[in-house]
Amino acid sequence: MSHFSIRCPNCGPRACSEFSYNGEVRPLADPDASEEAEIARLWLRRNVTGLQRERWFHAAGCRRFVTITRDTRTNLIVAQPGEPAGDVAKHA
Amino acid sequence: MTGIDFEGTQVPLQAGDTIAAALYRSGTRVFSRSFKYHRPRGLYCAAGDCPNCLVTVDGEVNVRACECAAKAGQKVSRQNAWPSADRDALSIIDKMHWALPVGFYYKAGIKPKFAWPMVEPFIRKMAGLGFVDHHDAPRHLVRVNHHPEVLVIGAGVAGLSAALAAAGAGKSVLVIDEKAPGHRVAVGETRAAIDRLVGEVTAHGAITTQWNTAATGIFEGPLVIAVDATREETLHVHPGAIVVAAGGREIHRVFRGNDLPGVMQARGAARLAGVHGLKLGERAVVWAEQPEALAHVETLQRAGVTVVAVVAPDGLDTSSVTVEVVRGEVTAANGKKRLASVVAGGRTIACDVLAIGSEIQGNEHLVRLSYDLPVVIAGDCTGRHHTLEEAAASGTSAGTAAAAGPALYAVEPVRPRTCGSDGYVCLCEDVSVKDIEVACKEGFDSAELLKRYTTVTMGPCQGRICADQLRAVAERVTPELAERVGAPTTLRPPTRPITLEQAVAGAAHHIERHTTLTSKHLSAGASMMWAGVWKRVEAYNGDVQGEYAAVRERVGVIDVGTLGKFLVGGKDATAFLERLYPMKIADLEAGRLRYGLLLEEGGVIIDDGTVCALGDGRYYITVTTSGAERLESWMLDWAEAWGHEVYVVNQTASLGAINVAGPQARAVLEKLTSDAVDRESFPYIRHRQITVAGVPCLAMRLGFVGELAYELHFPASQAERLWDAIIEAGKAFDIRPFGLMAQRLLRLEKGHIIVAQDTDFETTPWKVGMEWAVKLDKPDFVGKAALLRHQKRTDRELLVPWVMPAGTACPPEGTVITVNGALSGRVTSAWHSPTLGHPLGLAWVVNAHAKDGAAVNVGGTTATVRVGHAFYDPQGEKLRA
Repeated sequence: MSHFSIRCPNCGPRACSEFSYNGEVRPLADPDASEEAEIARLWLRRNVTGLQRERWFHAAGCRRFVTITRDTRTNLIVAQPGEPAGDVAKHA
Repeated sequence: MTGIDFEGTQVPLQAGDTIAAALYRSGTRVFSRSFKYHRPRGLYCAAGDCPNCLVTVDGEVNVRACECAAKAGQKVSRQNAWPSADRDALSIIDKMHWALPVGFYYKAGIKPKFAWPMVEPFIRKMAGLGFVDHHDAPRHLVRVNHHPEVLVIGAGVAGLSAALAAAGAGKSVLVIDEKAPGHRVAVGETRAAIDRLVGEVTAHGAITTQWNTAATGIFEGPLVIAVDATREETLHVHPGAIVVAAGGREIHRVFRGNDLPGVMQARGAARLAGVHGLKLGERAVVWAEQPEALAHVETLQRAGVTVVAVVAPDGLDTSSVTVEVVRGEVTAANGKKRLASVVAGGRTIACDVLAIGSEIQGNEHLVRLSYDLPVVIAGDCTGRHHTLEEAAASGTSAGTAAAAGPALYAVEPVRPRTCGSDGYVCLCEDVSVKDIEVACKEGFDSAELLKRYTTVTMGPCQGRICADQLRAVAERVTPELAERVGAPTTLRPPTRPITLEQAVAGAAHHIERHTTLTSKHLSAGASMMWAGVWKRVEAYNGDVQGEYAAVRERVGVIDVGTLGKFLVGGKDATAFLERLYPMKIADLEAGRLRYGLLLEEGGVIIDDGTVCALGDGRYYITVTTSGAERLESWMLDWAEAWGHEVYVVNQTASLGAINVAGPQARAVLEKLTSDAVDRESFPYIRHRQITVAGVPCLAMRLGFVGELAYELHFPASQAERLWDAIIEAGKAFDIRPFGLMAQRLLRLEKGHIIVAQDTDFETTPWKVGMEWAVKLDKPDFVGKAALLRHQKRTDRELLVPWVMPAGTACPPEGTVITVNGALSGRVTSAWHSPTLGHPLGLAWVVNAHAKDGAAVNVGGTTATVRVGHAFYDPQGEKLRA
């Protein structure tokens, strides 16, 4: 895995090692969704190979959460915090 | 004592001896018994790669005798044999291959079903690698960080040349080697070249060296983790670029009898003869597949061994050796417990040592972990034998490339070589060529599956000996699947075995948090207990009943500075909390506070606490002691998910908190403040900014223990001053500090739950009778969707209060509950109530029995369920006082 940096809105570009990974972004609850869809939303992760919308916690910095789009194959950051998400597959 | 104690015998030492060298000199030939069949095994690689010489040294299991320096007084013993490795009764298993086919643990003893529990303990006893001493106290090792511009791993000719080249280009360089440079190389021109280069490197101001330090993995960053065995430290190296010059090793050659003691790899044999001066045997055969191996003939001869023949392929120029040359390959080795002869070129040659100088494969483990990191390879590590000049040139160019910057260097996978048709591919787990052939025919059609099924590459050598030959056999059996079965299996760190002590180096301390009042508690006779990462007061001088009585009858004071404390502000603070909590926030007026549960998305209770509206759009919230760290990031995650502009300031450490509780609490405070604390100006579930003993406090009126109470939150630096003032002012009322035990009893009489003691990972508010804390008419809150679904179901179990008649003994927490002999639930909290005079508590009970007045059996005594009642002061008059 390569090293990469995340542009924290508070602190500027910082090493990824300052952040802790908080997993892929999941959609918010939908009261009209089927039981199965809600279970999948809550408990199943997609483990995308490719562009993934995900959240990181600046644990060793300002302790702010940020959302980025990262290519899980290359660790290239496609969208830094605050930038448009890009061409990310919608949650199933 | 000048020797080592080897299974009760004194073994003399010579300077520079490893344990293996000393034992071999004294006549030891069998160093271990194999894992599965208990076959005798002797020294094979003598380079720390194979499993054959793993011994127990001073209680530490699986020490590689060939690499471990011998020290006078060491106690050394062999493993996996009974009564001894020389005469192992369990070698009978070697006659029972028919009973132990490949993958036998998936096949044997499975049917009939009762067989496995009987077979398993036997297998566990037969197999294994030494016995761990459970009483051995772990050492705490330090972790040291290094930040060189270039890290060179391996101090051979290539590595040292790379270090000089990188330093010559102006870079700071760190060179590490798992042993001293050249320690395995016999006297000769290579050893002389290494010694000369070490001199240059040591004299160079920009190069730092650290020997006896094995790199165990390369991680993103890049980060290289290495362990220094002699200094007892673990290195975290953060280089700009890395040169891996870890050298190579000879390919494991497989033929019938290839695991007999006496069969060795040629570099290992040359090391034992040339470095340690061992006369390995009387008659040796050298099998040379490449030019380097021919040089070992002379090394063996110098040590007094007669080299009776060299076996070499047709193409190899053998004009440099003077012994008889047999063209061809070694196809078998004969002997019972030791090598007696080899078969080569159709002839049987009597010998007691076979030195196999096969083709070189690179020690590519670190390289294969480096993916797209800036790593350059040099020397034999690239996968072929280098002459001295080639190694130096390879190192120089690698060092120059690494100095030039973090470019990426691809690694070419090496194709597997050929493999014989009989013999042991895997020395660690006793897997033969035939076993792998059977596995291939059974349909295991990828290298990863073959590995898991046969366990080849999964033993202590981690594939160093066997990986190449596993691929070769599989390709031969199923050529149509060559791409899959011949692929290298996944390699994982550590690439050299490390101890758990080394793995956790630098992380030897537990986080233990104290409030500023801890020294006051201790001097007052407090016993402390864990609460999350905090140490809190359990009780003072063990007098829980006395502390309880003080709170109920007079006044008590408790340090609650460990509570999670947050200031929440920002444009969206109200909307944020409204969506976070299941109760209403927006209608909370300034000066009011409200109890709140926190739910996760599945509707499960994860924490509870209070919310104070400060009136200026800001809120002060508290959560439980153990939840503070987790909930901070949990809240911030939601803020980001909803795009809310909020600021969450964690004041857990910066603020202290003291709760003054009991009928006389107001009287105590009135002595210390001129602010109004009477019932009308400062009623229940309100908060006020008041000054107590000169300390500005946010005071809250809460009722966790069920009495008139004021919880004071203030700058932590003022805690001791305020605590002393309260104790002093309370003397007139016989005030008592109280601990967690008294608090748990006090709250239980009120029927209050403690999250995680009374609740579990599927506890919704419904199940604990706290529907009142959830407002489903709110547009949204975390967990609402799940609770709406949940409402339609009938809960299997409910948490209910229960009581027992006076005079019965209080059951311990965790006691099982039955009804008519059938399991019905379990007790989560239980105390004998001093005020009510009988045992009471909380328990999970199946729905049918969770009815008011239902009788249940708690550990042999009948208890009565009391739904919807606080045991003590049910109307809450006391806490509103």
